[in-house]
Amino acid sequence: MTGPRGLSRIELLQGTLDLIVLQTLRWGPSHGYGIAQAIRASSEDVLQVDTGSLYPALHRLERKGWIAAEWSTSENKQRVRVYRLTVEGRKQLARERSQWEQLSRAIGAVLAPPAPRGNEP
Amino acid sequence: MSRRDEELQEEIAAHLRMAIADRMARGASRDEAERAARREFGNVTHVAEVTREAQRGPALWLERLAQDLRYGWRALRRTPAFTAVAVATLALAIGANSAVFTVVNSVLLAPLPFRDPGRLYAASYLPADLPFELPPGLDDRLYLEYRGHVSRFEQVAGYQRQALTLSGAGDATRLAGARASANFFEVLGVQPALGRAFTPQEDQAGTDQVVILSDRLWRTRFNGDRSVLGATITLDGIPRTVIGVMPRGFTFPAASELWTPLALRLDAGNSFIFPVVGRLRAGATPDQAKSELEAIAGAMPQDPRTAGSHPAAAIIPLKQTLTSHVRTSLLVLAGAVLFVLLIACANVANLLLIRAATRRHEMAVRVALGASRGRIARQLLTESVLIGLIGGAFGILVAFAGVRGLLAMAPAGRIPRVDEVQVNGWVLHFTLAVTLITGILFGLVPAKSGARREPQEALGQGMRLMGGPHYRLRSVFVTGEIALALILLTGAGLMIKSFLIMRSLDTGYDASRVVTMAVDLPPIAFPDAARMQAFHTALLERLARIPGARAVGAVSFRPMSDMGIMGDFQAESPTPLPHGYTVDKTTVSPGYFGALGIRMLAGRDFTVADRAGAPGVVVVSEAVARRIWPNQSAVGKRISMQDHPGPNDWLSVIGVVNDVVQDEHLSRHSTIYLPYLQTTLPFFISHMTFVVRPAPQAGNLAPEMRAALRDVDPAVPAQALQTMDESMLDTIAEPVFQMRLLTAFAILALLLAALGTYGVLAYDVTERTREIGLRIALGATPGNVLRMVLRRTAALALVGAALGILGSLALTSVLSKSLFEVKPTDPATLAAVTAVLVLAALLAGYLPAQRATRIRALTALLQD
Repeated sequence: MTGPRGLSRIELLQGTLDLIVLQTLRWGPSHGYGIAQAIRASSEDVLQVDTGSLYPALHRLERKGWIAAEWSTSENKQRVRVYRLTVEGRKQLARERSQWEQLSRAIGAVLAPPAPRGNEP
Repeated sequence: MSRRDEELQEEIAAHLRMAIADRMARGASRDEAERAARREFGNVTHVAEVTREAQRGPALWLERLAQDLRYGWRALRRTPAFTAVAVATLALAIGANSAVFTVVNSVLLAPLPFRDPGRLYAASYLPADLPFELPPGLDDRLYLEYRGHVSRFEQVAGYQRQALTLSGAGDATRLAGARASANFFEVLGVQPALGRAFTPQEDQAGTDQVVILSDRLWRTRFNGDRSVLGATITLDGIPRTVIGVMPRGFTFPAASELWTPLALRLDAGNSFIFPVVGRLRAGATPDQAKSELEAIAGAMPQDPRTAGSHPAAAIIPLKQTLTSHVRTSLLVLAGAVLFVLLIACANVANLLLIRAATRRHEMAVRVALGASRGRIARQLLTESVLIGLIGGAFGILVAFAGVRGLLAMAPAGRIPRVDEVQVNGWVLHFTLAVTLITGILFGLVPAKSGARREPQEALGQGMRLMGGPHYRLRSVFVTGEIALALILLTGAGLMIKSFLIMRSLDTGYDASRVVTMAVDLPPIAFPDAARMQAFHTALLERLARIPGARAVGAVSFRPMSDMGIMGDFQAESPTPLPHGYTVDKTTVSPGYFGALGIRMLAGRDFTVADRAGAPGVVVVSEAVARRIWPNQSAVGKRISMQDHPGPNDWLSVIGVVNDVVQDEHLSRHSTIYLPYLQTTLPFFISHMTFVVRPAPQAGNLAPEMRAALRDVDPAVPAQALQTMDESMLDTIAEPVFQMRLLTAFAILALLLAALGTYGVLAYDVTERTREIGLRIALGATPGNVLRMVLRRTAALALVGAALGILGSLALTSVLSKSLFEVKPTDPATLAAVTAVLVLAALLAGYLPAQRATRIRALTALLQD
């Protein structure tokens, strides 16, 4: 893995996906399909999470102890694997949120520089 | 499938179910919903695989390796022919390397089996400008002086190899042994396993009747009986008390079976030179020891006899003095066998490339199913290392057999430390390292390019580039193989040519069937020349009575022996003899020249009348006659062996014989022959070789000659009982050994290179089936097609051969010491081996070319 310096493209994407998954689970436990739908809906159909990224992310977050999973029965009596946020996960979410906010502020500042002052003719 | 995998499958199934249900709820038909949901979900296997990887985390690589190995094993089993060829190629090459390494390691690399052997050095102070080579050593007076004053060495010990006749216990036997100073074993750091070493008192002449036995001699001859200590055995007729037995494996120097004290006895007229070994003091350097030796030697009074010679001091690592003469030839063999390994690697790499090309479809499917490029490269590399490991495992078996074969083929007694040669941990580590390196080496290129392949290219239909993938790479490998094979063939060719020259050499005698038998008469039983002459006369008469013996004779040092007496002489000649002109002084019996087929060029042979009391006579060889009495007859001239001859010291030349090839360098010597009945110096006749020329129909005369010797004196053992032809082969045993091994390696290399050429061209033809079909459809004749394939073969072979010739010119000079009258750059040999190699390559290319001509245009164009 790369050190803190190089924010590689993949890490950025992966980290972002982790943040989004954790954020989604803040509203309550959900299964993989539900999470995918929720992300899609809350991003107004802009973000379509690839299952090839979502499921590895879920299982990775589970391994790290930020989310927990259990089998439960859905509305139509089918077994589904449901994920919920753990206490550790909440802390991690807070950390990642603040990082993300810093990053997006910084990017926002770069993309929309304040108008130059005093030099206008 | 593990529970975890089942759960993952269930989770994915649930996802799909929900997605379908949602879509149906929005009004889609079941079919539409399923298709859409699956499309959205993507590749189920891929998702499952990457998720499993995420589950496992960092411990993954081990499981991946196991998986790769399993997969690789299955893949290898699916292509048994490929696997068998690759494994067999590697097993042979790796096994041959391990076998040669075993010998190199034991002889050249492994430390001597003594305590702290890195501090053992040989001290030498010898004239540097002698006409012959002496092993490093000191003369007796300097040794005594040096021993008393040396400070850079803890102590120094002298020793000298000797052969002794053990009689009394069973048949009289000639044994290799050594004289050794009292501290010899202490300097080496090896103590007797039984009994004790020599005391300084026993190292004095007169009180030295003791002996120490080797473990082997003790076990074979004395049944390992401890009561042998204190027993008396007879050596060269002298009774000696056994005081010790050395530990198993100690046979220094050179396969010694027993040791007696050095017990120096200074001789006013002669000096005795022997090897001296010392243990360097901690902190001292060989250079300091050398300066000290120079200082001590320089302070000694100058010996008038050696005035004018320029002695040079040298302090040489003991191991080097033991192994220097085989170093080059062993390293040449190691280099040759390494070439074989490189060829094998190129071959297997080529096979892998071809196989990778035929597996493009499989790899493309894996890529399409989501395996990463890195994963596939790793998979291919795992496979090649797996092939390497299987090859290496069989290679170890080959190595065991190879070492045995090498030792059996090796000339007896020529390779030092031969009893230390064994396949040990070092060899196994070496084999493992070679295996891994080769596995990675030949696997790297196919792995890299195998993973690079784009799936759509391979999955797509009808992709047939000219020559197929890796076309150039395969050509490079084949060219390299051919070049390396040519270098090995050149080496073997040079050795074979040299051997043929040696075998057809005019030796100056005609005696391939003549049987020889050497004897040594110990001074105790034969105190003077008269008794030795009586023995020789009796044995000659007894040998002449053997049925089937056509002629008999005796000579002090036969041709092709490693011993001889050289010296100067005086001659009645118009011009003084050139300074330093020395000749062989050889004692013979009447009839010797005839028995050995040496021609009398002038005058007469000796007769029994040329005895003590009769006028002194000699026979000279052609070179002596021509040198001293050019353009005149030598017969009737007079010479003397004395430095200042008196009136009775002159000997008349009665005959001239042709020169004979005498020594191991196969050079002809100038020789003066003396009749044994007129020789009064015991050491001129104490060692004698009897020769018997058999009648044409006679069988093996050796047993009868042994019986004759037993009749004359049962206490004298027969030595070197063999034909002159065997002596010749003995003399050239080392180059013959090298020739055989080089030839074996070269043939192996040739076969591998031919196999490689065949494989590549066969693959080419398969790859180009469509193209060739098209050409045939457009009117190409079978002849055109044949020529097209053979042209490519010839191009590969000629480029390879050109590179190989350059390599040979650069490398074969390492053989110059082993070659007899052949230059390492012999053009005829180079031309011959190039022809052989190109022919072999064309032959290897002919089969695929033949197949190409049978391609049917229609089938080829319709394929795919």
